[in-house]
Amino acid sequence: MTLTGDGLQPSEFAVTAARAVAECTALSLREQARHLANDGLLGVIAAQDVGGLDLPLAFAVPVVAASGSGLLGFPLIEALLVGRALQESLPRAAEAVVSGEMLATIAWQGGVGAEREGESVVLNGWVARAACASEADCLLVRIGTGAAVLVPTDGEGVVVEDATGLDLTVPEHAVRLQGVTIPAASVLPESTWNLLCSDANVLRAAAILGSADACLTLAQEHASTRRQFGRALSYNQAIRHALARQKLGLEGIRHAITRSVGGEAGALQRDAAFLAAGVYGSAIGEGALQIHGGMGFTWDVPVHRHLRRVRALQAQGDASGVLAALGRRYVGAIAPVADTAVSG
Amino acid sequence: MTVIETEPPEAAAAAELSGEAYRVAMRRWLRANLPASFCSDSAAFLPPTLPQSISWEAAMYRAGLAGITWPQVYGGHGRTLREHLIANQEIGAFAMPESVNSIGKELAGPIILAVGTEEQKRRFLPAILEMRDIWCQGFSEPEAGSDLASLRTRAIRNGDTWRINGQKIWTSGAYRAQRCLVLARTGPLEDRHRGLAMFAVRLDAKGVRVRPIKSIDGRESFCEVFFDDVEVLQSDALGAPDEGWAAAIRVLEIERATNRMYRAWRFENELRHLIAACKSDPVLAQLVAGHHYAVKLGELVVDIEVLKAHVETAVGALVNGDRIGARGSLAKLHWSEAHQRFAALALELLAQASLPPPPAVQVARRRFEAIYLQARAETIYAGTTEIQLGIIADRILQLSRGK
Repeated sequence: MTLTGDGLQPSEFAVTAARAVAECTALSLREQARHLANDGLLGVIAAQDVGGLDLPLAFAVPVVAASGSGLLGFPLIEALLVGRALQESLPRAAEAVVSGEMLATIAWQGGVGAEREGESVVLNGWVARAACASEADCLLVRIGTGAAVLVPTDGEGVVVEDATGLDLTVPEHAVRLQGVTIPAASVLPESTWNLLCSDANVLRAAAILGSADACLTLAQEHASTRRQFGRALSYNQAIRHALARQKLGLEGIRHAITRSVGGEAGALQRDAAFLAAGVYGSAIGEGALQIHGGMGFTWDVPVHRHLRRVRALQAQGDASGVLAALGRRYVGAIAPVADTAVSG
Repeated sequence: MTVIETEPPEAAAAAELSGEAYRVAMRRWLRANLPASFCSDSAAFLPPTLPQSISWEAAMYRAGLAGITWPQVYGGHGRTLREHLIANQEIGAFAMPESVNSIGKELAGPIILAVGTEEQKRRFLPAILEMRDIWCQGFSEPEAGSDLASLRTRAIRNGDTWRINGQKIWTSGAYRAQRCLVLARTGPLEDRHRGLAMFAVRLDAKGVRVRPIKSIDGRESFCEVFFDDVEVLQSDALGAPDEGWAAAIRVLEIERATNRMYRAWRFENELRHLIAACKSDPVLAQLVAGHHYAVKLGELVVDIEVLKAHVETAVGALVNGDRIGARGSLAKLHWSEAHQRFAALALELLAQASLPPPPAVQVARRRFEAIYLQARAETIYAGTTEIQLGIIADRILQLSRGK
């Protein structure tokens, strides 16, 4: 079977991904990696040379959305992006990630200083928001403005700190790098980081879409089945309208993502999809929690776990920084009114 | 007065163009022909008179910018919905006035195409595009705003004629219209959704009285329309009597999903104008360069991008032959509320200008004060926000209402 994207639809991946995610529930992280790899899900966007399917980012969207709605406890966005990021410079490592042999993650915040020493590079710095870093084999970190470097987590001088943050199922760690020496060949080109961040925000939006979809479904079910004062909760107009607003937000996220991976999309459409997902996704999670009342606070109802994840993803992609930068770019690109301005 | 004397050669050639080439031709035509005085972001802005609007819209039609998807046999350009979207993106880029015949082009036309007889299509549709017939919409009544099922205006048939009695309200532009798309009850009131029929009523018919109502913007754009024993020929009845409600729903779905499809691109024009005006005032330039307004304006950009995504999704669905159905309410709800957020921010910003404000800020104030007031109506017309939320809850989420 050749998989070039011809005739394949991104939606076809949704079913496979949903099943694989459900099967991951009781597995360890390493078992999950192999399981997801067996279904071809870790290599969706990686080159065929390293065992991937070489499909556009749009095909990763339903896979990541399924991981969101199924609350997959695995750094999937990171695995997808690392596999592709390494395929040129470090093809063997890329293959190991795509096949599920090596567990990779990315530290989304912070960066390290790098000093060249012969064939080696010495790294110093502090990075953070690295999903599942305590169990990962390797960690991609930013150097300077746009380059990146792959660091084995068991190397000397690498200290993974205790997890912090809201998402308990995909815990985020800070990592200190103190005089960590790695081969110079592990340094990836200058353009790597921006591409990673841009694609990551589309995939975060997809993960949030999955979580938001799950939250709304739960809220809808609860409102229809929970009875108070002799009637279903959904009898109340306030509840109906709250759910309708959540549906509006959910479809906004969905359409914005579709647009962001379309042919003519650029940075603006990607930022917009991520930002819309953050705002609407949080509102949907919080709204679903409200509709569940006290039950939403129990571990049995996964609404708060979704909300934790949505908020974590929003922060991981630095939503407020992205929003302010988007506003500044937009304002900066417009000239003052000239004397005889006509629109168009 | 004729605004557009001739049509430039590229418009005539546009018939053979498609996709991006069509876009370029339409953009060029608009740049070359749209008078600066029609644009509310221009210092030269002077709202067009009715004859000027009629002449301009007829010229837009001849250039290929109206009746885009209607069949050529009825005067349309026979283009695809994608090209309709392209044209709307180009129209939206200019701060030109709204059509004085949007009811004709975007409501009456599509409904006639859907349920009209062959004779009605040939009679009504070219007249709409050529701007010989301006239409208004007679749906709402004093006792029935969004609740069309309780309409009381009554139509009684006698052979080949109908007699209509009743009153319509919020009939925008009735004073300047030739035809009114009237929804009237042919069965008992208890039937609610059944026994409603649609008519194309001439406003100069005996027994029709139009009374303008002064509205929030100081203009008299709304009207009350009274029907006192008005005779309407069967040839002006649209669709079978019981098809009235179904036709109204279909029209409203179209209205919510695709009408003024340029809206997202017009919002973008408004946002760019707001920022450009702010940047020409020293105080406002500093404000929009700061963090607070970078965030606020960034949120509006996201609102606009999400609206574009809703519109493009709707077009995609329609191109695939899907019915939009209740999903039209999603886009309607989003644009009406996003535009209100936008208008409020524009007022807040412009109020902080230097004293005395530079001319660019005064032009922007005039435009955005009008937009702010008009936007207050956007969460009411075409079904209020509460009605849209109800539709989404009932028909998309299918939430149980019962015990």
